[in-house]
Amino acid sequence: MLNHPVCLCAFRPFFLLSLVSGLISLFLWLGFLQGWWVLPATTSGIIVWHAHELLFGFVMASLAGFILTAMPEFTRTPDVRRQIFLGLAVLWVLGRITFWASGWLGIVPTAITNVGFSLGLWLYLQPRLLVNPLRRQWLFSMGLAGMAGISIGFYSDLLRDLYPMRWLHAGIGMMMALIVITASRIAMRIVNESIEALPINKDENDQDLPDEYRSTPPRRNLAVFCILLYTATHFIWPQASVNGWLALAAAASVFNVLNDWHVGRALFSRWPLQFYAVYWFMAVGYIVLGLQHLGMPIPASSGWHLLSIGGMSLSVFSVLCISGRTHSGHQLDERNWVNLVTCLIIIAAISRALAGWLDLPLNLLYLISGSTWLAAFSITLYYLAPVFLKPRPDGGKGCEEPL
Amino acid sequence: MHLLRSTLRELPSYLWSGWGAICSLLLLMAAWQLVSELYGSLVLAQPLEAFASFKHLWNNQTLPEALIITGRRALSGLLLALGLGTGLGLLAGVSVTAAMMSRPLVTVLLGMPPIAWLVLAMLWFGASDGTPIFTVFVATFPMVFIGALQGARTVDNQLNEMAQTLQLPKRMMLFDVYLPHVFSYLFPAWVAALGMSWKIVVMAELLANQDGVGASLAVARSHLDSAASMAWIVAIVLLLLGIEYLFLEPIKRQVERWRVTEA
Repeated sequence: MLNHPVCLCAFRPFFLLSLVSGLISLFLWLGFLQGWWVLPATTSGIIVWHAHELLFGFVMASLAGFILTAMPEFTRTPDVRRQIFLGLAVLWVLGRITFWASGWLGIVPTAITNVGFSLGLWLYLQPRLLVNPLRRQWLFSMGLAGMAGISIGFYSDLLRDLYPMRWLHAGIGMMMALIVITASRIAMRIVNESIEALPINKDENDQDLPDEYRSTPPRRNLAVFCILLYTATHFIWPQASVNGWLALAAAASVFNVLNDWHVGRALFSRWPLQFYAVYWFMAVGYIVLGLQHLGMPIPASSGWHLLSIGGMSLSVFSVLCISGRTHSGHQLDERNWVNLVTCLIIIAAISRALAGWLDLPLNLLYLISGSTWLAAFSITLYYLAPVFLKPRPDGGKGCEEPL
Repeated sequence: MHLLRSTLRELPSYLWSGWGAICSLLLLMAAWQLVSELYGSLVLAQPLEAFASFKHLWNNQTLPEALIITGRRALSGLLLALGLGTGLGLLAGVSVTAAMMSRPLVTVLLGMPPIAWLVLAMLWFGASDGTPIFTVFVATFPMVFIGALQGARTVDNQLNEMAQTLQLPKRMMLFDVYLPHVFSYLFPAWVAALGMSWKIVVMAELLANQDGVGASLAVARSHLDSAASMAWIVAIVLLLLGIEYLFLEPIKRQVERWRVTEA
C-alpha cells in the first residue's frame, strides 16, 4: 500500500480526498435544498453541517496537502514521511465519518478526530515552521494554530450545547488570511513566470511597469491584520456596527494588495488571473458584509459565499492545479478545461451571492450555483485524479518538481 | 505636455494605490464608531449619522455655499502669502544682508500663534472677510518666505559658475539652473502653507464670522448638534484629503522623480 503512487507525496491523498469529499458534501447539500432527500442527522444542525464539511473537510484537506508538501520546500527540511501524512489523512477521513454520523455516535468521537487532525497538523509542522531562523514561517504557524483553535472552540460550543456557527465564520476569516499569505508565495512564481514569458522588447507604455512581481510584506501584513481584526470583532460582537467599517477596511486592504499584481500584460495569463480573481472575490465579499453590517438590506450569506466560493474554492482549485501538477512531475496544465472550470466556479460564486437579493428566484440560483460548482470540481477530479494516482512521468520518487 | 502625458498614464495605478489610505481611514471610522457607541451620540455622533447630516446639508445647499465662501477666503489669504512670501523670500535670499536681517523677523512671525493674529485681525477688520484672509496670510507668509529664502540661498555656486563659464543664455540659466533648485524648496513650503491655510481659515471663521464652514461649525456646536458638527468636520477633512491626494501628491511625485533624474 505504501508503495502505491498515491503515497508518493503528502498532497496526493489529501487533494484527492478534498475533491471527493467536497463533491459528495455539496451534492448532498444541493439535493437537500431542492427537497430531493434529507441529510443524515447530525448534532449541530444542517447549516452547520454544510459549512463545517466544506471548511474542515474540503478546504482543510487541500490546505493540509499543500502545507505538508510546501513547508519542507519553504523551510529546507526533509519531506514529510509517508506514515505521518497517511496517518493524518486517516484521521481526516475518520473526522468526516464521525461528523456525518454524529447524530448516532454523539459529539465526543467527532470532536476527538477533528480536533486531533487540526491540532496534529499544527503540532507536527510547528518545529519545522520555526526551526530555520532565516526561514521562519510565523504566519503559517499562526494560521494553522488558529484553525486548530477554531476547531477546539467549535467542539467546545457543541459540547456545551451552544450554536457553533460563530467558529465557522471565524474559520472562514482565518482561511482568508491564510489565502493572502499562501497566494503571495505562489504568485512569486507564477506571475514572474508570466512576466518572463512575455517578449523582451517593451513598448513605450510598458516602460513604467515593474520587471518582476514582488509581494510587498507591509501590504500583505495589513491585509492579514484587517481580515483578522474583522474576524475577531465579528466573533465577539456579531451584530455590532463597527464590524461594517472593519469589513470595508478588510476589503480595501485586499484591494491594496493588488497594487503588487498590476504588472501589465503578464497579469492577463490564466494562472495570475485566477489568483487576481480570488482577491477580487475576497474584497467584494468583505464589501457586501460591511454594507450589511452598516444596515443595507443585503443578506450576509452573500458575503460569506463570495468569500467561501469565490475566495476559497477558486484558490483551492488553483492550488490543486499548480501545486498538484508541478509536484507530480508534470508541467502546468495549458488545456482549456482549466479556464472552463475557473468560469464555472465564478458563475457558482456570483449566482450564490445573488440569492436573496431583491426578488430573484432563490431556488433556481441555489441550483445554478450548486450544479456549476459540482460540474467544476467533477471536471477537476476527472483531469487531476490520474495525476495523483499514477506514477510520476519523469521517474521521480517524491514531491520534487519536474526533473 | 510630457509631464501631463506621464501623469495621465500613471493615474490608474496612482488612484489604485489609494486603497492603502482608504483602508487606514476605514479603520479610523471603526474607531469612531466604537467611541460613539461607548459615549453615546450626544458626545460623538455615529459615522452614519454624520454622513446623513452631511447629505442633508449638501442637498439644501448649505454645505456647498459655505465651502465656496471658506475656500475663497483661504485662497485669497494663501495667494497673497504665496505671492509676497515667494517674491520677498527670493529677494532676501539673493542678498546676504537682507537674509541676515529678515531671519529674526521671520522667527518672530513663525513663533507668533495664529490665534494672537486672529485677535488683532478681529480688532482691525471686525466680522468682515478681512479677518480670516489676514489671519491666513500672516500665518502662512513666513513659511513661504523661509522656503523661498533657503531656496535662493542654497543655489549651488559651482553649478552657477559652470553655467556662467559656459555662457548659458539667461533663459536657460533661469529655467534649468535656478528655478529647479528653488522650486524644490518652494514647493514643500507651498504645500505646507496650503494645509495650514485651510485649518486657520476655519478657526478664524469660527470666532469672527457669520458665514463659512467655521461659522457653521460654531452654530452646530451651539445647538449641541453633534451629527452636524461631525458633518462639517468631515467636509473639511474630505476637502483636505482631496487636495492632498488628488492634486498635490501627483505633482509632488513628478517633482520628486525629476529631482532624482536630475541628481
